[in-house]
Amino acid sequence: MDTLSDNAIMLKVQSGDIDKMGLLYERYHRQLFRFLYNMTRQKELSEDLVQNVFIRMLKYNDGFMGYGEFKTWMYRIARNIVYDHFKKVKKTPTHTDVTDYETKIVGEQFADAQIEKEQELKILEVAMEKLSTENRELLILCRFEELKYHEIAKILNTTEGAIKVRIHRALNQLKSNYLEIDH
Amino acid sequence: MECKDYRERFTSFLTDSLHQAQRSEIERHLEGCAGCREEFESAKKIWDLMGEMAQPEPSSAMQADFNAILTEFKKGQDIQKNPFGEWINKLREFLYMQVQPRLVYSLLLVAFGLVGGYFLHQPGQSSIAYNKQIDSLSSQVSEMKQVMMFSLLQDHSASQRIRAVAYTEEINNVDFKVIGALFTTLNEDPNVNVRLATLDALVKLAGEPKVREGLVRSIDLQESPLMQTAIADVMVKLQEKSSIRSLQKLLHKKDLNKMVKFNIEKSIQRLI
Repeated sequence: MDTLSDNAIMLKVQSGDIDKMGLLYERYHRQLFRFLYNMTRQKELSEDLVQNVFIRMLKYNDGFMGYGEFKTWMYRIARNIVYDHFKKVKKTPTHTDVTDYETKIVGEQFADAQIEKEQELKILEVAMEKLSTENRELLILCRFEELKYHEIAKILNTTEGAIKVRIHRALNQLKSNYLEIDH
Repeated sequence: MECKDYRERFTSFLTDSLHQAQRSEIERHLEGCAGCREEFESAKKIWDLMGEMAQPEPSSAMQADFNAILTEFKKGQDIQKNPFGEWINKLREFLYMQVQPRLVYSLLLVAFGLVGGYFLHQPGQSSIAYNKQIDSLSSQVSEMKQVMMFSLLQDHSASQRIRAVAYTEEINNVDFKVIGALFTTLNEDPNVNVRLATLDALVKLAGEPKVREGLVRSIDLQESPLMQTAIADVMVKLQEKSSIRSLQKLLHKKDLNKMVKFNIEKSIQRLI
């Protein structure tokens, strides 16, 4: 069964074999969790959102077209769900106040390399949060989800060229955020 | 390429979206350009650091939770199951299996051509076969009727013999055997009604010269006044001039009915 393609499994689900969705869950729930966690930075919430994504895929399984990739469809639904969530809580992480972190980080002294690395990661985390949701999402899809430009382009319904430029800008933005905090 | 162009490709370099040749080109440039090297290293540092960010694992209870969701969903689904959807999806699944829409399209086109051609060709072929079948069937029926006719002509009942005579109308290819049997009946049957019916049947076959000859010869043999008058009428109808001599001979018969004599004289006049 594991050799079946995502699309083949999804078509079985569409034809009424609901149990087959379990296979897709097994394949993708970790990846999906990672995406949602990086978007929201909340573990429990992300777990709930993962279930919501799969429930929505079950409910609206006829929205899946056999010729598109299952993964593309899944990420689109996941994006809708996470953006719906942001709207609901009326707070996008873009506006997270990071000054507290900054003063805390700058004020401390780190002795060895281990601690220095931890500090760097902390700075990066803050730098990520300072990004716009769109830029952060692009970097998450590219770096953490390890999707290719053309796959991201499909999910965001745009061209590969546009994605290339946007990711480049997003990474530059992250870098300047990082340097800004670090100094 | 200028430094600016190289720097624009740094991200693609990090995301592994470049061809080997493009990568080598950037690597060569970095070796000789300290400014770009510094720029690249800072981007790479961020990129690598991102890879080190802690990624929590989802809790193991999630799978069990989802299984419960699935069971719940199935319950609701069973109530509103759509049998058509299943077929549509099977078709969709089949089309998907073909992977390339263009291939599917061309296959469909070929299939359509074959089916169309088959149906276009079919009527001609089947109608020939159909006609052949009908022909052989009707000839079999005709043969059967011939056999029936011969056996019925031997029947004791006059009405059965009349039926036998009537069958000749339904026999497609009346051969000499049938005509011979009819003349035997015409000349020898004891019942006048049978002989009259036979005369009717033979008139319909008068297109055949042998039949006309036989009818003329039969004039001499008829004893009954009814038959004599009827056969004289037939001769007029057929305008058979060769019958005049036979009819004149009939007039000289001793015990000829007066009425018949008058009719035959009239007939002869009309034939001349």
